[in-house]
Amino acid sequence: MAAVPLGLTGANPVTDASSYQRISGEGSSWSANALDAMRVNVQQFGITVDYNPTGSTSGRKNFLNGTVDFAASDIPFQFNPEDGSAPENPAPGSYAYMPITAGGTAFMYNLRINGQRVTNLRLSGENAAKIFTGAITVWNDPAIAADNPGLTLPARNIVPVVRSEGSGSTAQLTAWMIDRHPQIWQAYCERSGRAPACGQTSFYPTIPGMIAQNGDLGVSGYVSQGFAEGAIGYVNYSYALGTQFPVVKLLNAAGFYTEPTPENVAVSLLKARINTDESNPARYLTQDLSGVYTDTDPRSYQLSSYSYLILPTRVGGQFNEAKGRTLGAFAYYAMCQAQQQSASLGYSPMPVNLVEASFEQIRKIPGVEVQNIDIAQCDNPTFSADGTNVLATSAPQPKACDARGPLQCSDGTAGLANVPTPVNAAAQGGTAPATGGAAAGAGGAPATGGGAAQGSGAPATGGGSTATGGAPATGGGSTGSGGGSATGGGSTGTAGGTATGGAVDPATGAVTDPVTGLVIVPGGSGTVDPETGLVAGAPACDPSTGVGCAATGQNPTAGQVAVGAVASTVIPETTPWDASIAFVVLVILLVLAVVIVPAVAWRRFSGGVPT
Amino acid sequence: MATITPQRFDADTDASEPRDLTIRKGPSDRLFDGITSASGLLVLVIMGAVGLFLTLEALQSLEAVGVSFLTETSWEPDRGQFGIASVLLFTVLIALVAVAIALPVSVATALFIAEVAPTWLRSWLISLVDLMAAVPSVVYGLWGLYLMQGQVIGLSRWLNTWFGWLPFFSVDGADPSSPLASATVYTASTFVAGVVVAMMVMPIQCVVMREVFSQVPPGEREGAFALGSTRWGMMRVVTLPFGRGGMIGGTMLGLGRALGETIAVLLIISPRFDINFHILEAGSNSVSALIASRYAESSEFGLSALFAAGLALFAVTLVVNFTASWFVARSRSGASSEA
Repeated sequence: MAAVPLGLTGANPVTDASSYQRISGEGSSWSANALDAMRVNVQQFGITVDYNPTGSTSGRKNFLNGTVDFAASDIPFQFNPEDGSAPENPAPGSYAYMPITAGGTAFMYNLRINGQRVTNLRLSGENAAKIFTGAITVWNDPAIAADNPGLTLPARNIVPVVRSEGSGSTAQLTAWMIDRHPQIWQAYCERSGRAPACGQTSFYPTIPGMIAQNGDLGVSGYVSQGFAEGAIGYVNYSYALGTQFPVVKLLNAAGFYTEPTPENVAVSLLKARINTDESNPARYLTQDLSGVYTDTDPRSYQLSSYSYLILPTRVGGQFNEAKGRTLGAFAYYAMCQAQQQSASLGYSPMPVNLVEASFEQIRKIPGVEVQNIDIAQCDNPTFSADGTNVLATSAPQPKACDARGPLQCSDGTAGLANVPTPVNAAAQGGTAPATGGAAAGAGGAPATGGGAAQGSGAPATGGGSTATGGAPATGGGSTGSGGGSATGGGSTGTAGGTATGGAVDPATGAVTDPVTGLVIVPGGSGTVDPETGLVAGAPACDPSTGVGCAATGQNPTAGQVAVGAVASTVIPETTPWDASIAFVVLVILLVLAVVIVPAVAWRRFSGGVPT
Repeated sequence: MATITPQRFDADTDASEPRDLTIRKGPSDRLFDGITSASGLLVLVIMGAVGLFLTLEALQSLEAVGVSFLTETSWEPDRGQFGIASVLLFTVLIALVAVAIALPVSVATALFIAEVAPTWLRSWLISLVDLMAAVPSVVYGLWGLYLMQGQVIGLSRWLNTWFGWLPFFSVDGADPSSPLASATVYTASTFVAGVVVAMMVMPIQCVVMREVFSQVPPGEREGAFALGSTRWGMMRVVTLPFGRGGMIGGTMLGLGRALGETIAVLLIISPRFDINFHILEAGSNSVSALIASRYAESSEFGLSALFAAGLALFAVTLVVNFTASWFVARSRSGASSEA
């Protein structure tokens, strides 16, 4: 990747390697891939951060015990846990939450039809909940077949793979089930013997037939094994990318099956209600995701969420000001430059309002060297000049075949995005148009589907934007009042989608940032093509290959290229195969030298075999 | 420098009695005596301290649940429902599977190294077995999880298919006749964990047994040959009886290690909390894996409950080791053991 050597921004941590004290953190394995990338990248500044992904519960616990300098957790401290576990009582004013990354909890699965791996499985939320509560036990269940008209699923048992330790992913999943499918969860809770404590829990109750594994890595590792056919587990999207496995496309409230791509997560989290009551640090910046579950944007993914760092705001235990200085520098890096890389890892970058709030949170760390960062210099792919979330506004609309109905896309997902699964002839429909002049038609198609499925469908009737070639769009064209969803945050503004000559994509144009109250008007007068994400007039490019898209930095399908191209201060990814093979060989030789040679030599020179 | 001095002969003493001997030890002797007996005592003190500490820490939770700690199967300390029954059962099952697999292999390996292998091969094999013992258990765990598990499934299915009528080998939810049956019912099981632990236990047992076998008196061995015995006959009548103490000791040592094995088991098993003797079935548990997975996220009371579990494991391990030493002590003198 051609890393353009831009001038270093003012956001760089001070490159004074000698005085950064080593810090350690523990917690979420959901966000571990993002944190690991950050950890590696800050080493160039002499900052050493140890991170142990043992699960959110364990991270919070050890933060309270003072054995780590910071924690990473998907959920806040549990003052009143609903599952019968002991409450966590951090000292008031001793900590601050800082959102570190966003992402989707994905259902990663291992399924074959006639020996061919399925990569395009779709599930409604109800069916997903039933799978993880033992109510649906075989893959050829009629309910699943209804979600997948294009697939003839085998009569294999479903093996749900859950987390064995206290986990934030489990907490997010159970919170979602309790909110959306309370009866299913309640029945399961009673069946598993957890009742009466049936609230949100970090500890998934299991029944025979389920497999519980340790950490996201354990779950994804189990599901990806050759023997684990029929298994399905919940992990962060990045783990499916890492293991090169597909994820379930989950049905959203708009009637579309979506996968938690960084763009879709960005769209979904526009509906997350962030607590902005700064006077209550126990809640400040925490998330209420109920709006995400019912988001009617056709691109939204129900199980999107933010993950947090828990920062210490007092000196105590092993934490001192010198460590605070390191932690501050790390946090600044994490909120600014590191966000450029998120999308390529499978996470969604932070929007500008949360980055700004986080900068304020970082100031509370004792010993921090406050940096005055020009936020525009962060090169965060979600930022734009007018404060809108570029990633969300430019997120591509789902294809027509992703709508609930008789059609099913054959495209793969997540780690196997480029491996299509053939679908039955009846479910093929028209070929999914993804490029060129056909974009306008495709933009219209999902809009109708969504509208039909929705009934109300105000924000769902997207697609009314200019196509790449500049031809006027045919579909959609709603007035973009965005209905109640736009004003959900209780803030101002009903984004007038009509302002820019009807070329605004109402699905995104109508959205108001719930926290800052900023009215989001799509940048560049909103002529964003919903299908390719290209700004009108930008050079056309092939979204599947990313050729020619790198320069725009806005094409989500070419997200990796674009993100990498602007990642000026990130260490270039120079890990070609030959280097890693050499490293492996070196390690093997080292093991031989350290373990075998002394043993053999000792036998030889101490007079042979003792008899 | 001890000197034994006969007491001066006195006319008062009865000449028919033997003279008393008093031993006057030099300072270096006394120092040596002191150090050795102190070290010996220290071991006892440490063991006692461990037991006492565990008991004190466990007291809070044990008082809360009383005897039901031994019979309760679930483990939810914060809700006041926890017991060792299920966890300890699975711990013992894993250890038994491990020893059952490791014992024949280690006896055969030790016999081969001590009696059969040519000298040049012998030193290599000894190094290799030592190397196996030196591999960290997390490496075995990863190896077991990502490589071994997939291979063991075939054996599990075969056992289940043909010996499923034995209660141990039956598997709920398995259907060997269905080609679409999921192999996952055989994963993360007591058996898989036991196989991996066996790989870790085997070298330890083997080292102890080989040491004992190599100490067989050459005279007896050659005597057997002289009487026309074959090599196998010699092993049967000389080596094996001579090494019985070592074999039992080594086995028990391996059992102790198997009971306490943590990380490899933690990686492989899918924790379950019920009473189940189906060793091939998915889901297992172990005390040490339970402690490892829960201690970081436990409340104060939960930690106390984990200490209670640790105490139970400590007691079981003590019983195993005392049994081992009792066996070793009863076996033929001269047969040594490192247990």
